[in-house]
Amino acid sequence: MNEITPIHPIGAYVPMVDGPEKVSGRAKYTADFIQPGALAGRIYRSPYAHAEIIEVDISQAAKVPGVAAIVTGADCDKTFGVLPIARSEHPLARDKVRYRGEPVAAVAAVDAETAEKAVRLIKMKVRELPAYFTAKEALAPHAVLLHEKKPGNIEREVDFELGSVADGLASADLVREATYNCAEVCQNQMEMHAALADYDAVRDRITVHASTQVPYYVHLMLAQILDMDMSRIRVVKPFVGGGFGCRTECLNIELITALLARKAGGAVRTVISREETFITHRGRPETDIRMKIGMRKDGRITAVECECIQRGGAHSGYGVVTILYSGSMLYAIYDLHNVKYVGKRVLTNTPPCGAFRGHGTVDVRFAFESLLDEMAGELGIDPFAVRRANYLTAPTFTDNDLMVNSYGLPECIDWVEKESGWQARKGKLGPVDGKRKGLGFACSHYISGASKPVNWTGEPHATVKLKLDFDGSIVVLTGAADIGQGSSTILVQAVAEVLGLDISRVRIVSGDSDVVPKDNGSYSSRVTFIVGNAAIDAANKLKNMLIAAAARRLEAEPGDIECLGETYRAGAQDKGLTFEEVVGEALKDGGTITVTGTYSTIPESHGGKKYRGSAIGGTMGYSYSAQVVEVSVDEETGVVTVDKVWVAHDCGKALNRLTVEGQVQGSVWMGMGQAMSEEAAYHDGLLVTANMLDYRVPTIEDSPPIAVGIVESNDPHGPFGAKEAGEGSLAAFLPALTNAIADATGGLRFNDLPVTPDRVFAAIDKRQRAQARGKSGGGA
Amino acid sequence: MEALSEFDLLRPTTLAGVLEARSAHPNSRLLGGGTDLLVNIRRGIVAPPVLIDVTGVGELRCMKADAHGLEIGACVTLTEIAGHAGVARIYPVVAQAAASIAGPTHRNMGTLGGNLCLDTRCIFYNQSEWWRQANNHCLKTTGDMCHVAPKSRGVCFATFSGDLAPALLTLGAEVDLLGPGGRRSLPLRELYIGVARHDEKATGGDGKNYLALKQGEIVTAVRARHEPGLRSAYDKVRIRRSIEYPVAGVAVALRRDGETLADLRVAITGTNPRPVLLEGTQALCGGKLDAGVFKGLDELVRDQIMSMKTTFTPGHYRRRVAGVLARRLVTRLFGQG
Amino acid sequence: MARILEFILNGRKRLDAVPDNRLLLDYLRETVGLTGTKTGCDGGECGACTVLVDDQPTLSCLTLAASVAGKRVDTVESLGANGALSAVQQGFHEKLGSQCGYCTPGFIMASAGLLRKNPKPSEEEIRSALGSNICRCTGYVKIIEAVQHAAKLYAAGEARP
Repeated sequence: MNEITPIHPIGAYVPMVDGPEKVSGRAKYTADFIQPGALAGRIYRSPYAHAEIIEVDISQAAKVPGVAAIVTGADCDKTFGVLPIARSEHPLARDKVRYRGEPVAAVAAVDAETAEKAVRLIKMKVRELPAYFTAKEALAPHAVLLHEKKPGNIEREVDFELGSVADGLASADLVREATYNCAEVCQNQMEMHAALADYDAVRDRITVHASTQVPYYVHLMLAQILDMDMSRIRVVKPFVGGGFGCRTECLNIELITALLARKAGGAVRTVISREETFITHRGRPETDIRMKIGMRKDGRITAVECECIQRGGAHSGYGVVTILYSGSMLYAIYDLHNVKYVGKRVLTNTPPCGAFRGHGTVDVRFAFESLLDEMAGELGIDPFAVRRANYLTAPTFTDNDLMVNSYGLPECIDWVEKESGWQARKGKLGPVDGKRKGLGFACSHYISGASKPVNWTGEPHATVKLKLDFDGSIVVLTGAADIGQGSSTILVQAVAEVLGLDISRVRIVSGDSDVVPKDNGSYSSRVTFIVGNAAIDAANKLKNMLIAAAARRLEAEPGDIECLGETYRAGAQDKGLTFEEVVGEALKDGGTITVTGTYSTIPESHGGKKYRGSAIGGTMGYSYSAQVVEVSVDEETGVVTVDKVWVAHDCGKALNRLTVEGQVQGSVWMGMGQAMSEEAAYHDGLLVTANMLDYRVPTIEDSPPIAVGIVESNDPHGPFGAKEAGEGSLAAFLPALTNAIADATGGLRFNDLPVTPDRVFAAIDKRQRAQARGKSGGGA
Repeated sequence: MEALSEFDLLRPTTLAGVLEARSAHPNSRLLGGGTDLLVNIRRGIVAPPVLIDVTGVGELRCMKADAHGLEIGACVTLTEIAGHAGVARIYPVVAQAAASIAGPTHRNMGTLGGNLCLDTRCIFYNQSEWWRQANNHCLKTTGDMCHVAPKSRGVCFATFSGDLAPALLTLGAEVDLLGPGGRRSLPLRELYIGVARHDEKATGGDGKNYLALKQGEIVTAVRARHEPGLRSAYDKVRIRRSIEYPVAGVAVALRRDGETLADLRVAITGTNPRPVLLEGTQALCGGKLDAGVFKGLDELVRDQIMSMKTTFTPGHYRRRVAGVLARRLVTRLFGQG
Repeated sequence: MARILEFILNGRKRLDAVPDNRLLLDYLRETVGLTGTKTGCDGGECGACTVLVDDQPTLSCLTLAASVAGKRVDTVESLGANGALSAVQQGFHEKLGSQCGYCTPGFIMASAGLLRKNPKPSEEEIRSALGSNICRCTGYVKIIEAVQHAAKLYAAGEARP
């Protein structure tokens, strides 16, 4: 008997396939392409928040020696935007500027100093308009419109009721309502935005290096803005230093750099500052939420009413989707009926928001899980019991027609309850070093890619190609953008798994539109699920070809061939063929082999048409997360310390335990930043916190140990059963934190984020004063 | 690539060379670790035509901490101060303050002189050139209005945020200066003139004009006498535990004589345009450490700490939490074995 | 003004003309072409540009190139011998201390600085040594594991960190 076993890379701890480049400094990000002769691009930005442009005077700037090209709004009358229904943005403002920092002109010059000097000489003449920096101001009657076609400064209003909230509330034993405010936050990925555009005037072609999550959308927008045939454009996505949703749409920097390159007839490299990266924005909007829940004594939820107002900024971006998600994703985590949602996405004179990790779900989940906790306390039930009273049973469709096929939330909840020692420790953590301790718990969920792509073309949702040639190496060709989340590693693992090979036989090429098949991009956690399935499809096709070749050579039936990775044989007694021999045979037909694998979501996952906005939130698989957060609160200073986090994440199947853990830890921690210290704040529309001192991303000294439990619910449609792992654990941190603080402080609720020490201090101070006056303590 | 303003760099290796460079280039600035000045140059806040790198001047690198006294040269790094055994043992408030500044890499670069002369800070000032221009500049630069207090009538409220100054103030330190007129020493307290009050024209200082240095004068060292029995410590609150400037920082030094609080000094940073050595703490001494002392201390903080909206964290909190830290440090030091 | 800068870069003597106002970061990236060292902020806020100057972690974005004259500067490209990864690089790779990789060179140099001084750091010492560096991907959990792993590899005789 020959004991030959194929290799199974799936489910192991696999370091990233592009890790050696990253740790050695060899990984090249867009700004690292420093080519001799390339011009330096710099952007002139509006100092005004809202104004009609009378004149943009570039005459002095143009005289600066070394300036090669200047572009203004006059150079491009086209608009861009990620959603075909909401393309309101010009790469360089025309007619009007709508936020402080909006690009108005740009210069390409021989070096950065010269470009900078020219930008300083650009003058802008305007007629100022009233500017609105809060949703409330923009919604006021008679407010001047930011966009002519958007009455009331409302980008999108959503209003649905499924079931009857009135009936649901009537059958509740407890009804509670509370308001929440979540500050605007930014992705602040470590790589600042950069673009390199190289225009070939002889052939009228352009190559753009873009630091993006969506090379295909960048390609589309370049064609639109440059008014150029798509076939003349090449988009290259090199290493990308994080995205978190900031780069899920084509940004103005890529378009402006391309406009400059074409005008200058050469290569232009634009690297913008951290401040400009903040202003380019696309973060999570400031959100005001009113949440009302009806609950029975046993914890069963009878009705939910949610109102959500988002300060979206000056352009739509992903805004329409965000406000829809905030409503539809109330569902698919608990068994809810009788739900009413009213959402307003408001246009304001602040930089445009976008799709930040956990898109649309985070702030509403914070409000929901906070109120749930408060109500559980009031009813005297354990917060775990409340969640358990409302489980879904998979497979099922929710009232808003979301398809749930796998549901590991119960196992997640069990894991964090046990690992955190909740039942034994809750309420029994004495003060340590004079600080009061508390435990908090909450849950969240997320989609594994939107079932419907943003741009509907009728093509498969994902296409992956594999190339196998004389050398016996397999090359995966994919447009999926690895932005640090490890998608390239997952695709390599998936292909190797199907073929039973070590991952060292498989290489991956991604991110060059000249070479790889189109891909919709890395957003809404779609790559593992959707592109992963396409990779499996491609690998299976290749495997069948190899089996057929082996059968031919061994004079056996394909059905009798065993594929054991490096060996193909016809039965255990057969010595078999080496992989190289099989490849040699397979190539005889037509030389180099390329196979194409595809994947499309099933129509059942697309959501029904029962109500407006129903198609949003549909996905092939929902991930689930539960978290317990342990805190210490210094009641004298208001300083809160997160001592430890336990998180369990249902990712269907952990294709790579190392990267799943990394993604889950990163999500939890990013939730911590939003909950505790991060805030994008404005002074008259000027972003005050556009630097990394005042925009407070937690340091290593602030960050707790995060224990990760992986729950595998084996989704029937997921690649090897997998679902997403990189977003679903973010949202639960926020309410778990405030629930823990409430536990530590004897019930102080913090409904406004971030919970900074001054806010905790003020709430404790207020309670002490009230107690001193002989009254009972109040909330925050 | 960053387009820095044009400047010439001079790298003297002796104090005489520094003085010479200073007098030849009156608008020059001294460059130590660069963690403050180069940030401001990158933001276009200042554009000195000449930088004098003083890190190569051996005379500015003395470091002595023993039972006779403390002496630290202006170019000693924060890492060196924090890691010096003598400082940690005999002048713990200084070691603790140094160890708490910014982050570890910043401390490898930052120097005593730089931290003592740290530029005052404000959310309307520590911004890019584009930002400040869009906001019509401010008093501390070329504008004619303070955005923190629009009715301030010419007074700038930018906040002093250095951590070493309060620590050294509680030790009664003196600062050695060298200028065209020769050497002189000042009580460290007198180096800081950012009183920022309309009724105290005597100093004329505020957040913009916050140091008592004369034209061409530089800080060469700081000295403190050893005072037997003096206990000292430093603590601060930040939103994050590394990198950022203090929301409020407090240094306390006290002596205990049996059950009697024999001496008390409290200095606070991150609130006013100067580090504030609280006046009136001596009046709280002479008796037991009781509620009266804490009440008195609270009143001193309330009266002398004036934190405005110069940082992203509300001024009210900064003042209150400074009081909390002061009380805590006093309790802890008094109770120390 | 410009001057001739003479110093040791990654173990080799280097001689260049540099303007006085050139940052070490820009000099490394644009003049020498060592783009491993990254720009992540507008000055001193993120640590992505950390290099070693005479073995001491230093922010190259707040250091003038001219001021490293006569000193030793090591960037991420200096680590590892004969193409192999150094202990710290291996630690970051194998333990996923690096996700998007952009902050990684800075973290690796700060960690190398730590291990050269203190080959067996405690978790607390690792945290305080990396306090000037921001990572937006990992939540730092695996960065700490990476440095611990590197310390073990180093102790087991791997190349200098």
